[in-house]
Amino acid sequence: MTTDTPRLRLGIVAVVALSLFAALFARLWFLQVLTAGEHELAAERNQRRVVPLAAPRGRILDRDGEILVANRASNVVLVDRAELNTLEDEEREEVLSRLGAIVDRPPSMLEVALGDTSLGPFAPVPVAEDVDEEVLIEVRERQGELPGVEARQLAVRAYPHGTLAAHILGYVGAINPDELEAAGGPDAPGGYRRASRVGKDGIERAFEDDLRGIDGEVVLEVDAKGVPIRELGRREPIQGDDVVLSIDLDTQQVAEQALAEGMVQTQDHVDPETGAPVIFGGSTVVLDVKEGTVAAMASWPTFSPADFVYEITPEQFAALTDPARGTPFVNRALLGLYAPGSTWKLVTALAGLEAGLITPETVLFDPGIFTIPDCSQRCTRTNAGSTPYKDVALRKALTVSSDVYFYDLGARFWQQRERLGETPMQDMATLLGFGAKTGVELPVEASGRLASPAVRAAQYQANPDAFLSGDWFIGDNVNVSIGQGDVAVTPIQLANAYATFATGGIRYQPNVALRTQDQDGTVIREIEPRVGAQVELPAGAREPILDGLVGATQSEDPKGTAYNAFADFPHEAYPVAGKTGTAQTGGGREDDALFAAFAPAHDPRYAISVVMERAGFGSTWAAPVARSVLGALSGLEEPERVRPVAGGSRA
Amino acid sequence: MQTTTAPRGLGAVLRRDPTAPWRHLDWPLLGAALAVAGLSCLMVFSATRTSMADAGLDPYSYLKRQAVFLVLGLVATAAVVALDYRTYRDLAAVSFLVSLGLLVLVLTPLGKEVNSAQSWFELGSFQLQPAELAKLAVILLLATTCSSGRGPLTRQRFLVCVTATGLPAALVLLQPDMGSMLVLVAILLGVVVVAGARPRHLAALAAIGVLGVAAMFHFDQVDDYQRRRLTDFARSDGVAGASGFQGEQAETAIGAGGLFGAGLYEGTQTKLGFVPEQQTDFIFTVVGEELGFAGSASLLVLYGVIIWRIWRTALLARDTFGTLLCAGVLAMLLFQVFENMGMSMGIMPITGLPLPLLSYGGSSMVTTWAALGLVLNVHMRRFS
Repeated sequence: MTTDTPRLRLGIVAVVALSLFAALFARLWFLQVLTAGEHELAAERNQRRVVPLAAPRGRILDRDGEILVANRASNVVLVDRAELNTLEDEEREEVLSRLGAIVDRPPSMLEVALGDTSLGPFAPVPVAEDVDEEVLIEVRERQGELPGVEARQLAVRAYPHGTLAAHILGYVGAINPDELEAAGGPDAPGGYRRASRVGKDGIERAFEDDLRGIDGEVVLEVDAKGVPIRELGRREPIQGDDVVLSIDLDTQQVAEQALAEGMVQTQDHVDPETGAPVIFGGSTVVLDVKEGTVAAMASWPTFSPADFVYEITPEQFAALTDPARGTPFVNRALLGLYAPGSTWKLVTALAGLEAGLITPETVLFDPGIFTIPDCSQRCTRTNAGSTPYKDVALRKALTVSSDVYFYDLGARFWQQRERLGETPMQDMATLLGFGAKTGVELPVEASGRLASPAVRAAQYQANPDAFLSGDWFIGDNVNVSIGQGDVAVTPIQLANAYATFATGGIRYQPNVALRTQDQDGTVIREIEPRVGAQVELPAGAREPILDGLVGATQSEDPKGTAYNAFADFPHEAYPVAGKTGTAQTGGGREDDALFAAFAPAHDPRYAISVVMERAGFGSTWAAPVARSVLGALSGLEEPERVRPVAGGSRA
Repeated sequence: MQTTTAPRGLGAVLRRDPTAPWRHLDWPLLGAALAVAGLSCLMVFSATRTSMADAGLDPYSYLKRQAVFLVLGLVATAAVVALDYRTYRDLAAVSFLVSLGLLVLVLTPLGKEVNSAQSWFELGSFQLQPAELAKLAVILLLATTCSSGRGPLTRQRFLVCVTATGLPAALVLLQPDMGSMLVLVAILLGVVVVAGARPRHLAALAAIGVLGVAAMFHFDQVDDYQRRRLTDFARSDGVAGASGFQGEQAETAIGAGGLFGAGLYEGTQTKLGFVPEQQTDFIFTVVGEELGFAGSASLLVLYGVIIWRIWRTALLARDTFGTLLCAGVLAMLLFQVFENMGMSMGIMPITGLPLPLLSYGGSSMVTTWAALGLVLNVHMRRFS
């Protein structure tokens, strides 16, 4: 027994050893034979990383090929928040402090950037932009210590002309979750990725599909630290197509400058409660009536699209949308809603001729004051300054802007509503494109409003407390006849209405681009003019109205409302048919100044509208801006400084 | 046939004396060990060549050093084999005290900290890990102690054994080097079980072990990184921490090898550095990925042969001292092989233990060869 004991015990050892070896063998079998496939896949995934190569966007050019928006390379450090947040607090802090040291920013600043909620949770947040090449290299080399951090060279938008045409061009920003969803989600073939940048407004958005191009990708073999070892494959990105605008750089420059000069001189507004200065804006639209395109479009105050190259701060955004600072972000040409004032008289005149209430030769005696018939309260209306124009026919009524002449028409429309219907003016306005979007090829546009008995009744029905009555009175018709009352138009509608008259009834949906083309200039897509409607204008209306509108800029006696503004203009070579407007804004506030015109009067090429909020008289403020732009378009005048005109009138 | 240890020339021995120790060399053991060590050079080279080349360094430098270590190991074996193993009983106490001294010294500023463990002495361009020497010293002392009487292990001798293991184990734990500590415990178990420890002594030992571990956790004497290694192993929710990542990548590497492996130098997990510490603790992942099931199973067989031959020598030894020496070496190697391969394959927690004969490193290589020398010594002098 004693001699056998060591043998027995060594037997125990043998059993233990055999079991352990059996365990190792079994595990080896399991890993390398039974589940080898999974591990091979895991190893494969380990070493491959697909890096998307964002396609450079196409450029945006003016009609002569002048570059308005191009691309430039920018070195950016981005942080993937989702990945960073998987780290433990301590580790996360370490990563940020390391990164802070590299990009020379305190970690607290990085935290602020990371707190940006305007981006989706999966979009990498740029924490340092336009950094040196060295920073890019250092981040890449130290990838292992910087999980979630990425350094990339991005093609970002460049704006060689600064703020020029900002509202037309729009801007590019990180795609948001809703946009991504709408485009089919992050995995849709040919779709967007979470890190994609898309056009957010203006041309950038309207022509997104042309501009975006096709992203490429590079497949990299990486080591355990994520450091690329070599390239396994690559698909080059394809740059998006260039968009050639109908905008002419020079015209746009002139329009913006003239508008800005005019607007700056009208800024004397203060908040009635706080006394703090308040900025009011303005806009101008120039349409090419032959092409059916936008030649220039300016909205003041404006902004710099370059601010959107990376994400803007909430403070910047607040400033861009602050009403006290004139909401620079808003494109007033498409979104501003204004009472048209006397520029509306084109509509009333056409409606009167159409209805047969007047002929061009019908004379009315204008004593400067008008008493509304069948009226019980506030029954008198006056001309501007109560000026009596005496014997007035259509031409003179437009030239001098006799309110009484049109009040009378407005009253008679209502009196004869049995025969003419309730809305002859509104119907004519609709034909000219008011009350509906023009269809300009830009993302957002307002429809405007046309007051009418039916609209009034519906409004009252919906909200009886907000209105005194749901009824429409003769006085309402009188107000509408001179573009007051609840009539609201956008500046582009106003220009397009005058363009429609100028072309004899062709109402375009204005295009902003002529074509798309590749970088070599080969045309990809021609953008054909779009006719929204072919309008039948009343027979015999064109000539007298044209005379009246030309008189407004040229006639010394009777004196046209824009005569002073167009003093010394080359009328012979480049006659302008125009109409001033001074729209009351109510509550004792200053008037909005308007001007609408087309030129050359007898073979029109351009139509223009100018609207300046709270500026005062249209003849004093808006007409000079239009003159400056038309003078440049005529090719006969050097653009000169916009000067308000003394002795203007309300009309 | 009593001892005739008069010095004689090697040639004379081979020619004249059929019972001469050299005639009884355990060739299978030596052959298997040499095969593993040869494979080691290849695997260490494969694990290091890319990263060294990338760093602009000599890609062969690890290979060369490992080859030097192997030669040093063989010299150690020859030295250990040269004297009759029974003479080593007299050295047991001295070598134990020396290794204990070194374990104390390494904790002073003379020692060097690597990977947050104060485990090394730096000697020129080589590093010495005193814990490796301690393993040998403990084997020697335990075998000496347990073979110095007859009959079952008395409580007195059992306690001496526990103390003789506990002292260096405690010092090793201070570095902290949990892996080596566990090896010492494995050695203790191997020797006292074979020496005939009473079941109740073993039960008491187990109780002490459990209490000790509980106390260490309770008094927060376990470093974070040790704790993480243990708890990460227990976590299976896929949320891998630093060491969980290590284990996962190791498993991936081995599994990706499949039946026949990616081929020598072709392992992507290996080349691209997904498995950390690959030339040392995780060397088995290189074998697994590049040589596949065929290669790693063969390696397992080689280790099996080694363990078998040691076991056989323990059985054949002419005295208890020889048997116990073999039992200690067997326990040491068996535990290290199982723990190291086990952690690479995800069935054991990760501890910093080298895979004997395969991992890069001089201390481990030389110690292992010296331990094998003891076994060879016992084997060849079983008749003399």
